[in-house]
Amino acid sequence: MTEANSGSDVLRPITIAGALDALGGGRQIMAGATWLMRAPVRGEAPPKAAVLIGSIPELQQISIGQDQVTLGAGVTHTKLAEALAGVPALKGLVTAASRAANPPIRAVATLGGNLCTAAFAAGDLSPQLLALDARVTYATKDGTQDMDMSQFLAARGNLSGGLLTRVRIPLGNFRSAHARLPLRKAGDYPVAIVSARMDQNESLMRRVRIAVGSVEATPRRWSGLEAALEGQPYDLKAIADSAGSLTNEFTGRDGVEADGWYRTKVLPALVRQVFEDLSMQFAERP
Amino acid sequence: MTMRLFINGEERSAAVHPLTPLVDVIRDELLLTGTKSVCREGFCGACTVHIDGVPTMSCLLPVIAAEGKAVTTIEGVGGPGNMNAVQHALEEHDVVQCGMCFPGMVMSMTAYMERRPAAPRADIKAAMSGNICRCTGYERIIDALLSIAAKEDTTA
Ligand SMILES: Cc1cc2nc3c(=O)[nH]c(=O)nc-3n(C[C@H](O)[C@H](O)[C@H](O)COP(=O)(O)OP(=O)(O)OC[C@H]3O[C@@H](n4cnc5c(N)ncnc54)[C@H](O)[C@@H]3O)c2cc1C
Ligand code: FES
Ligand code: FES
Repeated sequence: MTEANSGSDVLRPITIAGALDALGGGRQIMAGATWLMRAPVRGEAPPKAAVLIGSIPELQQISIGQDQVTLGAGVTHTKLAEALAGVPALKGLVTAASRAANPPIRAVATLGGNLCTAAFAAGDLSPQLLALDARVTYATKDGTQDMDMSQFLAARGNLSGGLLTRVRIPLGNFRSAHARLPLRKAGDYPVAIVSARMDQNESLMRRVRIAVGSVEATPRRWSGLEAALEGQPYDLKAIADSAGSLTNEFTGRDGVEADGWYRTKVLPALVRQVFEDLSMQFAERP
Repeated sequence: MTMRLFINGEERSAAVHPLTPLVDVIRDELLLTGTKSVCREGFCGACTVHIDGVPTMSCLLPVIAAEGKAVTTIEGVGGPGNMNAVQHALEEHDVVQCGMCFPGMVMSMTAYMERRPAAPRADIKAAMSGNICRCTGYERIIDALLSIAAKEDTTA
């Protein structure tokens, strides 16, 4: 294994294979460290052994092609937002990455760290990536596994001994949006998140994807609302009414920032925000 | 294990575990106590330092991640007699109250105002979202920061 040696408890490999070799011996992957270094605040022991993945160039790659965007898992929120600012279809992802947390955290917190933290319910990137039909690649010593976001989110709590290496997002003529409700205007965790993507064809809503984050322990698609809106003409009031009648698909989690009932109650307002944003984006579409 | 840091233009070293939070090394080993350790969870910004010029929460950065990079603390940006533009503006507008937040506020805003000296109020507010101040209500801090661009305009 090639590595910048740092003592046996803490290793800094420079390749993905090196990182996989370094796991074991109580060492866990450490990316931006913004979750792991808060262990004492959660009443857990501070990390003592780690595989730092910040020196692996492959994990920092961003490629923007005609049909797809590929993001290395080590890309930070700041870099992600800067790199994708010129991709109209991914405005929702840019919003998610540039509104999460606060500027110094965004400068170090990574895409992979955000997606792999199963205990963190309020992540902004996962609902947006669900709505965008993204796929992730998870590497272990036995090979790589390609998963869609729903599969990955269901499995992530039990994955170990491996590394999330990249996220691939298909591109198209669609537009995307992201709405979040923090209690202060910025800086704290969102109480609820709605991410959406859709295409518009002859004024009808097509390929509608809606995902909800922070309301339940794990983000998931709002399949009832997607079905209700698919193929319908764009009508903001009807969209918000449908959302209002379908919030019972979710059971909000109680937490320090908000009770469960409040998290579901605000969903129609967030749906309204994302669809207003989408409509403005379609009005500007060439 | 010995960690080597390049801090405020000087080589320094400390015998600590590589995953020790940088703020603890800065304060307890190097005795640079201007950087504050308050929430220790990335919310308050009192521990902000620059890593290669980028404002970073030193409570969440393992010291090993700062090796080979330029670390700047509040002691490195200016002090009595050589304050920078942000420090001057905060003093002139008599903004500082208890002072708990200010080392971090100065670090974040120094980097931001260098990049965007004519930033509008709303953008300054968003840029300050990682620095919590319990005393001032923020508006006077923002007024002070806006005065930097206004001053540059009149002296240009
Ligand atoms: C003050 C504050 C406010 C925040 N607000 C928000 C917010 O509003 N929205 C939001 O989405 N997030 C928010 N966060 C969470 C932040 O985004 C996460 O802490 C961050 O994304 C974790 O990324 P990291 O790179 O620092 O992960 P790390 O702390 O390095 O790792 C986190 C976990 O993921 C694992 N891991 C990391 N990378 C990989 C990989 N490539 N493969 C496999 N496992 C991996 C680690 O082993 C660990 O278990 C906030 C954090 C703070 C401190
Ligand atoms: S002490 Fe680091 S952000 Fe509060
Ligand atoms: S002056 Fe007291 S916290 Fe800001």
